[in-house]
Amino acid sequence: MESLSLLMEGFSQALTPMNLLWVFVGAFLGTAVGVLPGLGSSMAVALLLPVTFSLDPVGAFIMFAGVYFGGLFGDSTMGILMNTPGGATAIATTFEGHRMAKTGRAPQALATSAIGAFIGGLIATTLVVFFAPKLADIAVMFGPAEYFALAVFAFIATASVVSDSVIKGLSALVIGLALAVVGIDGISGASRFTADMPQLFDGISIIVITVGVLALGEVLHVASRIHRDPKLSAIAVSGRPFLSKREFREALPAWLRGTAFGVPFGVIPVGGAEVPTFMAYGTERQLDRKRRNPQFGKGAIRGVAAPEAAGNATSGTAMGALLALGLPTSATAAIMLAAFQQYGLQPGPLLFERNADLVWALLASLFVGLVMLLVLNLPFAPLWAKLLLIPKPYLYAGITVFCGLGVYATSAATSDLLIVLAIGALGFVLRRYGFPLAPIMIGVVLGPLAETSLRNAMMSSGGEIAVLVHSPVTWTLYGILALVLVYTAWRRIVSRARVDV
Amino acid sequence: MSVDAQDSPDTGELARTPEQIPEGQHGFWTGRSGLVVAGILAAIGAYLVVGIVIMDVPEGAKVPGPTFFPILIAIAVFVLAALLAVQTLRKPEPVPATEGNARFHTDWKSLGLVFGSFLAFALLLVPVGWLISAALLFWGVSRALGSRRPLFDVGLALVFSSCIQLAFGAGLGLNLPGGILEGIYG
Repeated sequence: MESLSLLMEGFSQALTPMNLLWVFVGAFLGTAVGVLPGLGSSMAVALLLPVTFSLDPVGAFIMFAGVYFGGLFGDSTMGILMNTPGGATAIATTFEGHRMAKTGRAPQALATSAIGAFIGGLIATTLVVFFAPKLADIAVMFGPAEYFALAVFAFIATASVVSDSVIKGLSALVIGLALAVVGIDGISGASRFTADMPQLFDGISIIVITVGVLALGEVLHVASRIHRDPKLSAIAVSGRPFLSKREFREALPAWLRGTAFGVPFGVIPVGGAEVPTFMAYGTERQLDRKRRNPQFGKGAIRGVAAPEAAGNATSGTAMGALLALGLPTSATAAIMLAAFQQYGLQPGPLLFERNADLVWALLASLFVGLVMLLVLNLPFAPLWAKLLLIPKPYLYAGITVFCGLGVYATSAATSDLLIVLAIGALGFVLRRYGFPLAPIMIGVVLGPLAETSLRNAMMSSGGEIAVLVHSPVTWTLYGILALVLVYTAWRRIVSRARVDV
Repeated sequence: MSVDAQDSPDTGELARTPEQIPEGQHGFWTGRSGLVVAGILAAIGAYLVVGIVIMDVPEGAKVPGPTFFPILIAIAVFVLAALLAVQTLRKPEPVPATEGNARFHTDWKSLGLVFGSFLAFALLLVPVGWLISAALLFWGVSRALGSRRPLFDVGLALVFSSCIQLAFGAGLGLNLPGGILEGIYG
């Protein structure tokens, strides 16, 4: 129960009026960015990073705790009301959520998703509190070969599972890897692909890449279609924003099942919460088919509850993996990692010993943030939808200015603004041709880890490749990866066969 | 990760129903413009190869050295570029036959205006200062996205960039360049 007393200390730090204010500001801004179409949780963190620069580390991370979950609460709101999910994690929620909204149950759909996000986040964060220190103990057993296996697992799983075309997924992945090798090589000190420009010696910052690929690419994409696509309109929300007892009982098992899907995926790097949300959605649909009165297709409350809980549960445990292993399992976590490094902190097994007060204050504020977000979202979700009353030109103009601000504020370098524009153009082209963007981020995030662990493993073995598969941990990881690939291939063949019939 | 609704399959009625146009009505490039991506990949690969060849590897660098991982990436990049090219050539994108195809094509004018505005912002930020360059960016993007009140937009853009200057510069102590207006505020 040592964790509990440490957590209580964390709460005593998080519950000062000033820090409560920071959580609130973070949760508020995070939700606002998440609600905007096309911008999800990782954008919320990337764009709001400069806001925290002038705070002390504890205040900054407390604010991040709010932003982190806030983006996730927000992105399903638009999916439900307008059928435009804010991020990939909200797609699964959108199917049934938008149907519920069309049948006049928009408030219930919003409430189900908000409560689902709360439950998923709450359970996952609780697990992190009790198991993250133990995870850190296990992490000590991981050597370079094991980390390399983990990275390979993430690469292949993201590229093949998340996208509908393996070639497109892998192409996006190698673009990410190529972006990640620019800069001074950490092991040998050689300058790589910098064209002798000092601005590139530190590599291309993860913030520049995220803002370019996700935000600026999105703005360019919208610009290319604004006069082409039919106008979307949001469904008006009226009526009680609360669930009846019957609805609550209906959704409860789905919330819990969704959480169960989400929790493990925070630690397994497969590109964030996309996979678990779809697995949770698929499972609910399977279960629903066996019921006497199937609800799916008519706006099933469970189809909203399960993916939403899964998404937030993944984000909760992803925070645990980041703190205890130093392993970023999603783009959002990677930007958090960049934020840690900005303050001279290195997440990983040692963080719990060296910066215990900060870690526990952060974990405590995750709880505080969740409660605040429930309050902000449950009764006020219809108000968030009013953000869409801002005319589209001004909305995207504002987002673009914030992209510029965010990038310039992190580095104060004009060169970064030009790089972000180039990457934004690349992001637009990839969007235009239906390439998935998640593998790029995973390549950028885990590329350096893959490279250093691969080279360290081979250096220590004197060039033997066999070192990569020498331990049971690596066998297990490659084994699971093989199973995942076989399962994906089988699913594709089955679905193709079904289409043919 | 943000995935556009149009790119994801079956997001309800958003997904359009593409009707195939009979073969032979379009040129070779119709539906094959995706070759651009294969080209971009090849260009990235070429940059990697040049970088690997001219890289200054320090004396006594241990094996595998700094070129080891980039070589692996470069090989993968070329293989994938070739596969993509073959895939695009064999299976061109279906052309949806709605409203004379106008919706299918990219709106280069709006796109160029957004791109140009951001480029101007990047180049003008330091010499001219945040207040004016950010206002210009705001104005350009809102114009590109269909705003039809240029004069009102100028005012709005200036108010917006000043608000950010106040909130982030004065409030949070972020150092935004003053440019030609240096000294007037600050």
